[in-house]
Amino acid sequence: MTDILQILLIGAVLGGVYALMASGLTLIFGVMKIINLAHPVFIIIGAYISYWLFTLVGLDPILSMPIAMIALFCLGIVVYKLIFEREASSAKYSEMTVLLTFAVALSFDGLLGVLFGNIQRITSPSYAVEAVMLGDLFLPKGQFYAGLISIALIGALVAFLKFTRFGYAIRATTQNREAAQLLGVNVGLVSTITFGIGIGLAGASGALISFIFSFFPARHWEWIALLMSLIVLGGMGRLMGAVVGAFLLAIVSAFVGSYFGSTWSMMTFYLALFLILLVRPQGLFGEKME
Amino acid sequence: MTDRQNIDTVLAERDAYNAALAGTRRRGGSWPALLVILAALALFPLVQLTGGNWNYPLHLMLYAFMYVAMTSGWNILGGFAGYISIGHNVFFCIGGYVSGMLLASYGISSFLTAPLAGVVAMAVGFCVGFITLRVRGPAFIISSIALLMVARILFDNWDFVGGSNGISLPRMELPVQYVKIPYYYAMLVIAVASLVASYAIRHSKFGLGLRAISQDEIKAESAGIDTRFYKILAFAISAFFVGTAGAIWGEYMTYIRPNIFLIILVAANMVLMCILGGKGTVAGPVVGTVLLIAFNEFFVSQFGASQINILGTGIIMILALMFFPNGIVGTLRRRGRLPRILDWD
Amino acid sequence: MPESTALLEVRDVVAGYGRGPAILNGAGITVEEGRTHCIIGPNGAGKSTLLKVVSGLLPARAGEVVFDGESIAGLRPDEILRRGICFVPQERALFPDMSVRENLRMGGYIITDRADLDRRLDEVLEAFPVLRERGGQRAKSLSGGEQQMLTMGRTLVLRPRIVMLDEPSLGLAPRIVSQVFDIIRLLKDKGITVIIVEQNAVVGLSNADLGCVLDLGRTMFEGPADGILEDPRIRELYLGKRAGAA
Repeated sequence: MTDILQILLIGAVLGGVYALMASGLTLIFGVMKIINLAHPVFIIIGAYISYWLFTLVGLDPILSMPIAMIALFCLGIVVYKLIFEREASSAKYSEMTVLLTFAVALSFDGLLGVLFGNIQRITSPSYAVEAVMLGDLFLPKGQFYAGLISIALIGALVAFLKFTRFGYAIRATTQNREAAQLLGVNVGLVSTITFGIGIGLAGASGALISFIFSFFPARHWEWIALLMSLIVLGGMGRLMGAVVGAFLLAIVSAFVGSYFGSTWSMMTFYLALFLILLVRPQGLFGEKME
Repeated sequence: MTDRQNIDTVLAERDAYNAALAGTRRRGGSWPALLVILAALALFPLVQLTGGNWNYPLHLMLYAFMYVAMTSGWNILGGFAGYISIGHNVFFCIGGYVSGMLLASYGISSFLTAPLAGVVAMAVGFCVGFITLRVRGPAFIISSIALLMVARILFDNWDFVGGSNGISLPRMELPVQYVKIPYYYAMLVIAVASLVASYAIRHSKFGLGLRAISQDEIKAESAGIDTRFYKILAFAISAFFVGTAGAIWGEYMTYIRPNIFLIILVAANMVLMCILGGKGTVAGPVVGTVLLIAFNEFFVSQFGASQINILGTGIIMILALMFFPNGIVGTLRRRGRLPRILDWD
Repeated sequence: MPESTALLEVRDVVAGYGRGPAILNGAGITVEEGRTHCIIGPNGAGKSTLLKVVSGLLPARAGEVVFDGESIAGLRPDEILRRGICFVPQERALFPDMSVRENLRMGGYIITDRADLDRRLDEVLEAFPVLRERGGQRAKSLSGGEQQMLTMGRTLVLRPRIVMLDEPSLGLAPRIVSQVFDIIRLLKDKGITVIIVEQNAVVGLSNADLGCVLDLGRTMFEGPADGILEDPRIRELYLGKRAGAA
C-alpha cells in the first residue's frame, strides 16, 4: 500500500511539472493553432539560464525562475515577430508553421550545442539532494518544490485568463478567432503576447526542471513527444485538459517505471500518444480536430 | 439593370481562360539529356582506373544517391499526399537492421537482401500508416515524431540487435580503390528506381488521387477516391525506398547502431531537401539533395563541428520555408523559368 | 435616391482572398438609416464577402465604403466596430466554452468603463430574459434559437447603428427561423439599421424593406424588397427553383 502511495505521490508531483511544461504549448496552440515543436528547446534554454546563474553567481534556480521567464518571454516575442507573424496569412498555415517550429527547434538545438556542448548538466542547489518525509512516504525536495511552484504558476495563469480583460481576449481568440476580431479584439497583438507568455512559461518550467532532470541540447526531442502526448490527451488547446493529461500520464508512467524500469516510463507517453490517436484523436475533452 | 448578357460575358471569359490554361501545357521533358547524365554517372567509377584516389567523391556521390532515394520516397507521402513525416528515418533504420542482421547472422550480402529489407519497411509502414493516417495535418506530424521516439527506445533496448551499441558487420574484401564501387552502383540503382516510381506515380490516377488528398481530403473523398487506402499505400511505398537505402547504408557503414539511423538530423535532411528542391515535384528531391549536401560539405570543411551543421540546417530550413515555400523547382515553374531538363512533372 | 439619406454607401468594390481571384467585382449597396436590407444571390455571388469588406475583415482592392459621410475603407475591424457597425458572421459566432454572461461581456470588449459595461449588460438581459436564466451556462449547451438570441444580444451591448447578419437562419428549424426574424424586427424597432444576407431569398426579402441582388461579384439590382419579389425576371433567375424548394 505504501509503495503504491509512494509512486502516486512521485507521479503527481512530476505531473505538476509536466503540466507547466505543457501549459505554454497548449496556450499557443489554442490561440494561433501553431504546434510548437520548438517548445521543449525553449524549456532547455530556460534551464541553461538558471544553470549558469547558479553556477556563475550562485543564484538559486527558484529565484532565477522569474529571470528565465522574462528572458524567454522576450525571446518568444522576437521569434514570433521575425518568423511566425508573416505566415499568418499563408494558405498552408498549419503545415507551414509546424515545419517552421521544427526548423526553429533544430536551429536552437545546434546553437546550444555550439555554445555549451553535448554535456549533461544539472543545477544542484542543496535541496536537490534532500528529501522530505510525509509519514512513511519519501519525496525528493527538489521535485516537491518544483511541483508546488508549477501548480502555483498554473493557478496564476488560470486566474489571469479567467478574470482579466486580456485573459478574456485570449480565451475568446482561442475559441473563435474571427468572432473575437469582430468584437474589437486585436488578434494580432493577442497572438504576439500569447506566444510570449507561452514561451515565458517554457522558460519558467526550464528553471524548475534544471534541478530535477539532467539536460543537454538534444534532450528536447524526447520531450516534444512527451508534451504532445499530454496535450493531445487533454484535447489540443485546452489548458485544463493538458493539466489533467499531465497528471494522468505522469502517474501511469511512474507506475510503469517502478515495475518495468525507467527506460519504459518514457515509452508510456509515446504509446499513449499512439493509443489516443487510434481511439480518440480529439482527446479526452476536445471536439474533433481538423 | 443588367442580367443575362452579363452571365454570357462571364462564361465567355471563363472559356477563354480555360483555353489559355490548356495552351500552356508543355510537352514532355528532355529524355536524351537525362540519359546522357545517367550514363555519365554510371561510368564515373572508371576514374578509379586513372590511379588517383577518388574514394571521397565516390562516397559523396553515393551519399547523395541515398538521399535522393530517401527524399523522393518521402516526397511520395509528404509532397504528393501532403502528409509530413518527421519520423521517416524509422524505415531507414528498419531497412538497415533487416539486412544487417541477415548479413551478421547468415552472411547474406545486403545487395541481395535490400529489396526484402524494403518490403519489411513497407509492411511496417503499412501497419503504422494504418494507425497514424487516421489523423491529418499537425496531429500526423506529431505522431511521426512519437514513432521515432518509440523506435529509438525499442532499438536501444533490444538486446538481440545489440542494444544501443549495435552490431558490427563483416567488411567486403576488396582492394581499397574498388571498395566504394558496389555501394555506389547499388545506391544509384535505388535512386533511379525511386525517381522512376515517383514519376510513374505523379502521372498516374493514383498520383492524381494523392494530390487531391493534399489539396482537400474531404472533397477528394466525396469525389470517390478511397483516401484511406491511397494514403496508406503512399506511406508504404515511401517506406520501401527509405528502407532499401537503409539496407545498403548499414553494410556500407560496416555496423548497425540506433544512433546512425535514428537521429533527428536524418529525418530533418529528408524534409529539408524536399522543401528546398520543391515539395510535390519529381525533380525537387534531386535538386534539394544536391544543394544541401554541397552546403553541408562546405559547412563541415569550414567549421568542422556537427553542431554548427545542425544550426546551419535549421537556419536554411527557416529561410527556405519563409521565402521559398515552393522550393526551387516549384518557384521556377511558377515563374515559367524551369529548365526543361528539370521539368519531370 | 438622393445621397443624403444613405447611412452607408458601398460603391464599386473589388475584393478577394489573399492573392486569389476577385470575388467581388464592382459590388455595391446603398443602406438607408433605420431600414432592413436583404442581400440575396446564388452561392459564391460574394454576399458574405461584401459584409466582410464593410466590417474591415477583408481589405478592398478598390472601391469606396462611406459611412455617415466618412470613408471607412481600410480601417481596422475594431475601428469600424467603434463607429457602430457590427458584423455577425455565419454560424458559430459565439465562444462555445465561455458562459452566456462571458459571451455578452465579450460583446462589450471595446468598452473599458466597467460600470458602463455592466449597465449595458443589464439592459440586454432585460430585453432577453432567457439569457439571464442561462447566465452561467456554456454557450455551446444552448439550443440553436437561444444561440442566435445570444449572438444578437451580444451585438446589442455596443448599441450599434448598423447590424450585419450573415445567414442568421442557416441550419435552424423553420419555427426557430421565425423567432430569429422576430429578433431582427426587435432590432429594427430599436432604430437599428439591419443588413441580412440570406440564402433563402423569399424568407429574407419578405422580412426586409429593401433588397439587393448580387451575382458574379456585381450588384445586379437594388430596390424595394417587395418589388424584387414581384419582378418576373428576378423571380426566374434567382428565386425560381430555390423558392420552390424552400
